[in-house]
Amino acid sequence: MAFIHLQGVSRYFGRQAALRDVNVDLEPGRIGLLGPNGAGKSTLLKILLGLLAPTKGSGTVLGWPIAPAEGQDTGFAGWLGSWRETAATLGSAGSALRRTIGYMPEADSLVPGLTGAEYVALAGELCGMPRKHAERRAHELLTCLGLEDARYRRLEEYSTGMKQRLKLAQALTHDPPVLLLDEPTSGLDPSGREAMLRLLLSLGKDHGKSIILCTHLLGDVERVCDSVVILHHGRVLRHGGVEELRARRQDRYRLQVRAETDDAAAANLAPKGAITNVPADEAHRSRGLERFKEDLRLEGVNVLADDGRGEMRVAVPKGWVSRAFFALAENSGVTVRGFQHDDEDLEELFHRVLSEGNGNER
Amino acid sequence: MSAELLHYRPWRGTFHGPLSASWPIARVALKMMFRRKLFWAIYALALLMFLMFFFGQYLLSWAESQADESGVRIFGAKVAPGDLIHGLREVLQLNGRKGEMYALFFRFQGYMVMVLLALAGSMIVGNDFQYGTLPYYLSKPISRVHYLLGKCLAVAVFINLMTTLPAIVLWVQFGLLDTWSFFYQKADLLLGIIGYGLVLTVSLSALLLAAAVWVRRTVPLIMAWCTLLFFCRVLADALVFVLNMDWRWRLIDLWDCTYIVGTWLLQADPGPRQPAIGWAASILVIVSIVCTMYLILRVRAVEVVK
Amino acid sequence: MIADRSSVTAAVAETIARPSFPVPTMDMGRDERPSELASPVLLFDHVSKWYGPVIGVNDVTLELRPGIMGLVGANGAGKTTLMRLATGQLRTDLGTVEVRGISTLKAAAKRYVGWCPDADVFYEEMSGRQFVRVMAQLCGFDRREAKRRADEVIELVGMNDAMGGGAERTLRGYSKGMRQRIKLAQALVQDPELLILDEPLSGIDPVGRQESIALFHQLARRGKCLLVSSHELEALEKLTDQVIVMARGRIAAVGTLPRIREMFDDVPLAIRIDCSEKRRLSAALLELDDVSGIELGEQATLTVRAANPKRFFKKFAEVVLEEGFDVQHLEILDDSARAILGYLLAGTAHS
Repeated sequence: MAFIHLQGVSRYFGRQAALRDVNVDLEPGRIGLLGPNGAGKSTLLKILLGLLAPTKGSGTVLGWPIAPAEGQDTGFAGWLGSWRETAATLGSAGSALRRTIGYMPEADSLVPGLTGAEYVALAGELCGMPRKHAERRAHELLTCLGLEDARYRRLEEYSTGMKQRLKLAQALTHDPPVLLLDEPTSGLDPSGREAMLRLLLSLGKDHGKSIILCTHLLGDVERVCDSVVILHHGRVLRHGGVEELRARRQDRYRLQVRAETDDAAAANLAPKGAITNVPADEAHRSRGLERFKEDLRLEGVNVLADDGRGEMRVAVPKGWVSRAFFALAENSGVTVRGFQHDDEDLEELFHRVLSEGNGNER
Repeated sequence: MSAELLHYRPWRGTFHGPLSASWPIARVALKMMFRRKLFWAIYALALLMFLMFFFGQYLLSWAESQADESGVRIFGAKVAPGDLIHGLREVLQLNGRKGEMYALFFRFQGYMVMVLLALAGSMIVGNDFQYGTLPYYLSKPISRVHYLLGKCLAVAVFINLMTTLPAIVLWVQFGLLDTWSFFYQKADLLLGIIGYGLVLTVSLSALLLAAAVWVRRTVPLIMAWCTLLFFCRVLADALVFVLNMDWRWRLIDLWDCTYIVGTWLLQADPGPRQPAIGWAASILVIVSIVCTMYLILRVRAVEVVK
Repeated sequence: MIADRSSVTAAVAETIARPSFPVPTMDMGRDERPSELASPVLLFDHVSKWYGPVIGVNDVTLELRPGIMGLVGANGAGKTTLMRLATGQLRTDLGTVEVRGISTLKAAAKRYVGWCPDADVFYEEMSGRQFVRVMAQLCGFDRREAKRRADEVIELVGMNDAMGGGAERTLRGYSKGMRQRIKLAQALVQDPELLILDEPLSGIDPVGRQESIALFHQLARRGKCLLVSSHELEALEKLTDQVIVMARGRIAAVGTLPRIREMFDDVPLAIRIDCSEKRRLSAALLELDDVSGIELGEQATLTVRAANPKRFFKKFAEVVLEEGFDVQHLEILDDSARAILGYLLAGTAHS
């Protein structure tokens, strides 16, 4: 069954278009929702949550329909229409949809005065779970997420990392097949972020949940998601698997080389104080690197980018063998510490798609 | 942490409908209020008022049984029973057979209720806006109506705990002191009490929630609430009694409107220079509808995802 | 991934246990720049700070000169305290903090410091430009000067045209990215030498991120000193390679990430190699002394554990050239900031 199916969905706020003719068909899986600010991501999320009706078009999430389109009228008809919309979203329309989704909001949405277990249990009860079931599940989830000791403490006493895990717990209480996550790693330190991403990956892979991840951190999307939807100015520029969208560049490589240097300075533990951007032995190192670059150029390799410290991107001519890097390195007195095919990573993909989108608009 | 994830278990079970979510919302709001000492202090004051009526009825009943005695001793002073009875009956209107007693009780309790509701409003609703809890609620499979219903339920509990329930206790007490036939003869009084409570509940909860959603913080809410109720009463009194304007100006005072409707339900006399029931009822209905519409518009889904 | 936590712990514990480093008269053989002979922009001298019984920073000594410095650490490690001490919002319990030789508690020092906090606290009814102008006036500039500086700085952060004249709208309607820019603008308004930035990239979309990073590089080239605290290690790696790692109130390590990685010299590097003849390559690599383990992965992948990276890579190159292997992929798996920090912070957490 298609996970998300949207057909011709548009949403106008007055004259302004937040979403324009969105047509996507997504399979269950882990999807990243990307786009610059103002691209219409939050509008799309609201429509997927059934909280907002599109102006035109229809769609389903896991078979459940989104709110019916309300049509775009102006003037008196428009005013009447907004009342119609209010009346429509008044009832339970859309609430069946929300039962399949667990939403993890970006902002802290706490009920002050409750304990952790009570908060998560309340989330279950709001979804329609019987009270005892919700409470039992709350305890189970909090233990599972590592908040076992803190579940009897008041929410105001929680740290940021704990709050993020708590928000995830309240999204999982009713065991929804779909998780909608808005900036799940914001405010987390690196280890917390790592733990959260591993958790999300596991929920997606091992427990078969479909995840929609909405974030600015492309690193997160790379770790967790296997497909992306890129929005810009209300349109979907690209959607599909990351591997398919990536441009494969057979002739491009990323190189990490390091020049020979004295070991004495490097053997010291890093001292404090007197820090500047360029440590002393860099002077010696750069000479080796320059030689290496020269040799590369002589062999017909195009050095595209170079940060001066040994990280470079090159485009090699046809018929190049990777062994040649090692040979040239040995001649110049540098060591090759890494080289990889320079396929597009997510950031470059994102920028490319965005600039193509901008180009098309003009 | 990944090892623990082995313990994540799916949950399969039956879900109740969205209406079942209103009670948990109310329960949480009640719990927040019951934790506060201020709430219990105000409730104690309201109970004092109730106790005054409660023991007053006993005193009256006892004095009536001593009516043929020349004098009775109360707190060491000698008082003629007739005077005592007269005092209790006329001044405090402690006549359980007539609706006036209950109307008076409601009116006295009104002050406490208003103060308590000012406190409750900010806690129940204002907190949700202030701490951003609204996305938490609205992203669940419930709609705004269920959310508002839950909040109204909590406010209803507060109002009724202080007015309707004690009034019913007074009614039962009088019946026990009087004859058994009181219960079915004066069953309409019971209905009147319940009706009055209902009127108060509906109109005040709509008004309170609308005010709390409009002005979200505690102090401004207390100010707005006091303006709506206390200030308008003073204004109405000034306009009608001092400036001698048309008695219909008393309709500004919403509490008075509820009083008029309540006394009509209790078949009691609302007092002189009060507007007719029709006016008061219409005002209440209009205010309630306007507040409800405002609530539905304001508690919007667009607040959920920034 | 760490073979033996205790060894890492020992390495880190040793660093932390060291009472303090002498402020180095480092003859790192530097080609002298005149600025280095002047006083450092920011100087912490054996600073400790308590919050009641809880210690926030514990005997921190630090000197910062122009350039970009990253500040990383777990939540609660003392980063915010460090930054507040640097901006003069907190008084030290032990030790002194100086900016350009002036104690941070004096008003004169604040002339040199610009602070871009993590939280958004604005006067929401003002427009962006108005806010920055008010901040400029608070710094002591007269009205005309304040207006000029505000306009200049708003131009610098790119709020002028790109956001559709966003500087004129009230702050209430701003997106997160625009707020960050305004925060940066108000920090820059008195052209400070020291800029302290707390999570400057949070909430900004990838496009805005690149622009911000470019702006930071530009400021650093102008000779400013930037102290950037962030949890987003990938962004930090693009910004700078010098980091300060804090843990439990102490500075656990300072320097470039590869240098810090070298501290863990007893933790073998994990290196991924893709080669079509992986088994033959494995056999050849096992001959090397430095290789402590090889794991055969899917398809053509090998993961090699090697003790001494320098030697290993040299030998590896020799093996490849001699035997003629066709290597498709070579990557050090735990050289990234995330991995290093993982070792460092996990080590301190469990010590």
